[in-house]
Amino acid sequence: MKVELEGVRPWRHDMAGCLHACIATMVDHAGFDPLEVLGGNWQFYYRPGDIRSEEYYFPCPPNRSLLASLAPHHRIESRWRWPDNAEQGWQQVRDQVIAGHPVAVAVDNFEVPFRPAYQDVHSNHLVIVRGFDDERQTVSVLDAIPPFFSGELPLQTLAAARSSQNRSVHERDMFFAGRPIGNRWLQLLVDGPRRGSDPPGEFLARNLEQFHAAPAPNLYSGRAGIAQFLADMCDRLEAGHNVVDELFVVAGVALAGAAVHADWVAETGRRLNLRGWPELARQIRRLAHHWSALRILASLTRHGQTGGSQVTVARLRNRRAVLLAELDRTLAGIELVSAAR
Amino acid sequence: MTDQLTGLGVPLDLREHFDNRGLTSVSDLAGGSFNVWSNTFPADELPAEGSIVGVGGVLFEFPARGQGGDNIRCAGQLIVVPPGSYDWLYVLAAAERHTEDLLYLHYADGSVDPEWLRVSDFWPQTPDRFGAIEAFRCSTMHYPRHVQHGVDPVIWRHRVPVPRHAELAAIRLPDNPAAHIFAITAVPVAGAAL
Repeated sequence: MKVELEGVRPWRHDMAGCLHACIATMVDHAGFDPLEVLGGNWQFYYRPGDIRSEEYYFPCPPNRSLLASLAPHHRIESRWRWPDNAEQGWQQVRDQVIAGHPVAVAVDNFEVPFRPAYQDVHSNHLVIVRGFDDERQTVSVLDAIPPFFSGELPLQTLAAARSSQNRSVHERDMFFAGRPIGNRWLQLLVDGPRRGSDPPGEFLARNLEQFHAAPAPNLYSGRAGIAQFLADMCDRLEAGHNVVDELFVVAGVALAGAAVHADWVAETGRRLNLRGWPELARQIRRLAHHWSALRILASLTRHGQTGGSQVTVARLRNRRAVLLAELDRTLAGIELVSAAR
Repeated sequence: MTDQLTGLGVPLDLREHFDNRGLTSVSDLAGGSFNVWSNTFPADELPAEGSIVGVGGVLFEFPARGQGGDNIRCAGQLIVVPPGSYDWLYVLAAAERHTEDLLYLHYADGSVDPEWLRVSDFWPQTPDRFGAIEAFRCSTMHYPRHVQHGVDPVIWRHRVPVPRHAELAAIRLPDNPAAHIFAITAVPVAGAAL
């Protein structure tokens, strides 16, 4: 049997990674606007210690699926599937493709020939499977993350990447190594209308409400959650603890979320000619750029140096202050735009 | 993009500030670490160290490697500028993801103004977001253990305005390690003597 799904389109945001890329491709194929699904929502949520070594890490509230967490303004659910073994893992993905659904599958870049990390760095990455050829024992794969790839892989190669132990072996196996891939794949569960039923301003209002809500105990959420999370990271760095993995990965999630949201605000503002939205979009994008700075400063705490300049707690606290100032300006801007509706 | 050397300007000597190595040769792939993954630009595809190059009509000194490397990872360094009246600071730079931050222009009369420094991502297949000019696009990227073909990291040309009608004395870079600067050229006010 041979299947190649039609209409499986690549999507990539330059400030986001494989999570957004793969989900965008899947929701696009299911009839949604990917930018609206991924960019309509903008929140901050993180439970201390929840961090996982996955390029596609996204913190979700308990009992809430990845898609419900990432895109709460749309009625989309998802389920991570954990097959018992590689054979079952392929059968499940194959069945999904036969049913007409492109599938996001986790792979270890170390085993994927088109990834620059091939035979070099272990990293838990996500790609799309959109077809297969039983006779030739090949799989059709799409990866929008540079270097862009759209083509075939031997089934055996994909199986090795999906069942890799993803061990951290050397110093560059960082952040996204150290946890088995486990043949996992992501199933999209779609119900309801393909567009958000509320006007775009409602998305902003709900996002703002979440940012201003008081966090639950033992939880970083909203504006207060960002402030506390970063304060705790500074304190832990000062106490001599290792913060690099948690801060780098969580900052990456925040960076991507802000940047994709900024593009949705910009696109929506242009499309509907909404006053103040283009400027608000730029402000949100600036916030994403501040997350870039904080994320890289975090990464440099691993070695304790940024070139000739040491990463000090004072520098991290300064980045926190700059980011919070931009965040407050951004939230005030959202309130202003919302009030003008 | 490079072009004929038609531009005016004062390339600044940044060597004493270089604290990161972002260019490597094929024979020394692990000798630099532009980003967290220790990727570097292929030096063989870029202008010679210390050469004067034109980018979009502006002259730059392509970095001659100093003791600490070939680029500045922004960490609040103070760069002294030959005293003069300038309109623009042109910058050869690249970032780890797009970033922007305030630098501070120090004038000879003691006044200080913030201006935005915006730097686009060096990462392959990633478009500029700030209206920059593509200065140099490579066809390969260096990893510590191999040369990766088919990925094309970029060094961008950005610019920062010098709005005050006053003599510029120095530039305080932002404390933003995502931004890397390879070269700066100060372009004088039109008609001003170099």
